[in-house]
Amino acid sequence: MLENTWNRIIDWFRDRSERSQLIRSFNDSAKNAFIIGEAPTLLKAKISKGERTYRHQFSNWLNSGYRIQAFSGRQLAKDEIKHIGEVILNDNVLVRRLIVLGWDTLEIHGDQGIYGLRWQLKDYIALPQ
Amino acid sequence: MIETVAADTISIANQVISKTDNETISFPNLWMWIAIIEFILIISLIFFRRKSESAREQFKREAKAGEIDFGNIINSSFHVKPLYDELKVKCHPDRFSSDIEKNQVALELFQEITKNKTNYKKLIELKELAKQKLNINF
Repeated sequence: MLENTWNRIIDWFRDRSERSQLIRSFNDSAKNAFIIGEAPTLLKAKISKGERTYRHQFSNWLNSGYRIQAFSGRQLAKDEIKHIGEVILNDNVLVRRLIVLGWDTLEIHGDQGIYGLRWQLKDYIALPQ
Repeated sequence: MIETVAADTISIANQVISKTDNETISFPNLWMWIAIIEFILIISLIFFRRKSESAREQFKREAKAGEIDFGNIINSSFHVKPLYDELKVKCHPDRFSSDIEKNQVALELFQEITKNKTNYKKLIELKELAKQKLNINF
């Protein structure tokens, strides 16, 4: 019992660290791609509030949204935002990792205002019962 | 007189001893069964709990094992569409209808291209394969 609780505490801290690392890795790759000219728009990932109705068994209590926002460069059209979402959702490894680290919502936003698209992550992977 | 008192005392003592024995025999039996039932309940709870946790833990472990290529994801986000459009036209099996062997290769390639239409890295590999096997000039 005590060992189980201790393991859960360690897992929680490890997951926190991996969440930050995942965000950092995405942002580093996006920044490098923008600097060398591979990407016309600078993308930036961050943690958002998420959508409560998209919850699943691995969801965090708070901040369960993975938001990618387009910064500087040119404004993204709706089709481009949708395409970025499809690229991420078609990557099974990434979607699985996002789910087990407590995210349940993927949000892609443009630079202006709150315009963006939102997906429910559990629709793209079969979760254990 | 003393003998009578002693006999009475012994008989009363025997009654008390037999009564206490009955109580001590029946009560331990009851508590023993309660303890056994509790033990079975606890073991079954731990067993089922561990079973459900193991499926969850296994899923988590497998999900954390894979490598994520963010560079490929960023590239795919902005460059995969023109590459996919080019490949789906140039590797279409209908373009190789006269050659059965090439038609089969093109069919397999086309299926792979469609399957990986949002994966830039994989499409680049398939493009190289198409150059080698189908002699297509891109």
